[in-house]
Amino acid sequence: MDGKTILLVEDNADDEALTFRALMKNNISNQLVVARDGAEALDYLFATGQYSGRDTSIGPQVVLLDLNLPKVSGLEVLRQLRANERTKLLPVVILTSSTEEQDRLQGYDYGANSYVRKPVDFNHFIEAVRQLGLYWLILNEQPPARR
Amino acid sequence: MELANVRLEREIKERKRAEEEIQRTNRELSATNKELEAFSYSVSHDLRTPLRSIDGFSQALLEDYADKLDATAKGHLQRVRRAAQRMAALIDDMLNLSRVTRCELHREKLDLSAMAKLIAAELQEAEPSRHVEFVIESGLTAVGDPQLLHAAMENLFRNSWKYTSGHPTARIEFGSSVEKEKHSFLVRDDGAGFDPRYADRLFGAFQRLHTAKEFPGTGIGLATVQRIIHRHGGEVWAEGAVEKGATFYFTL
Repeated sequence: MDGKTILLVEDNADDEALTFRALMKNNISNQLVVARDGAEALDYLFATGQYSGRDTSIGPQVVLLDLNLPKVSGLEVLRQLRANERTKLLPVVILTSSTEEQDRLQGYDYGANSYVRKPVDFNHFIEAVRQLGLYWLILNEQPPARR
Repeated sequence: MELANVRLEREIKERKRAEEEIQRTNRELSATNKELEAFSYSVSHDLRTPLRSIDGFSQALLEDYADKLDATAKGHLQRVRRAAQRMAALIDDMLNLSRVTRCELHREKLDLSAMAKLIAAELQEAEPSRHVEFVIESGLTAVGDPQLLHAAMENLFRNSWKYTSGHPTARIEFGSSVEKEKHSFLVRDDGAGFDPRYADRLFGAFQRLHTAKEFPGTGIGLATVQRIIHRHGGEVWAEGAVEKGATFYFTL
């Protein structure tokens, strides 16, 4: 599992801390990169702005994407990521508070691989992170790197 | 001839005015609905987030400082957690209730007997240890929105399932009868029932006639059923007695 990065796009500091805690509780020790708004997420993914010069061959193994973000929304991040040749196959899990139908529809429409609602109960959250980790980091086969 | 024309003109003017009135009301309704949608959207996203923090960091305290907290302190934190989780459940229920009001009604011919059988099977499958006899009248059909009516029936069945859980065996019926000179459907159980003196509180949102210790729940089920039935232009009412079961009637 080591050496595979998880990109967490999350603006809420509490949720960031709790997600980190849940990953630790599940012994998921992958490197966690946190982007605190949509613009930062795009900078990381495309190696621009504060991340220019980043080695983009080290793509994240999976992107955990919140929808409500400042500057650039989660859906817009998703749209741009899917529109770019290099990043369009990245597994993206929308991890958000809402199950409003329009969010789910748009999420899947824009090409999310999965849509998971963040539970309030922290024990359930730990379990959700456990399942996500097991699936996206171990069971799921990564798309091959383009030559 | 002139008089007839004048009268016709007046009629036409009045009709035009009435039409404009209707169009204006429709625009207002549409605007209100959009506001409701935006409100629900905001509730969905924004209210749950701090609850997650409250629950999560209480749990963190319980785990990381377990040796520094005595039993009372741990008890306090557990209450905090339970309250946050309960609030989350209430928010979910409120959202579901508002969704029922907002969504569009699609009318189809529905086999209610088949729906009832499906729901009964699901309940039994979820708790195979319970001994419940389902008596479902066959051939009962109605015209209505399949999703909403399924939700209404499920709520009623779940209630009967819940309030008969105190007895070793139970009987839940789904049938029809003629009540108040109308053809109506009914869901009947022989469980805990309710005190008919408080019948008018049954359908109030979050109003309960039992404590959470006796039977879990937020008290939104019947309010949801009522809203769904009313949207179909029907009525819903209940009869019951303490420990003598309850019967819920509805028309469509």
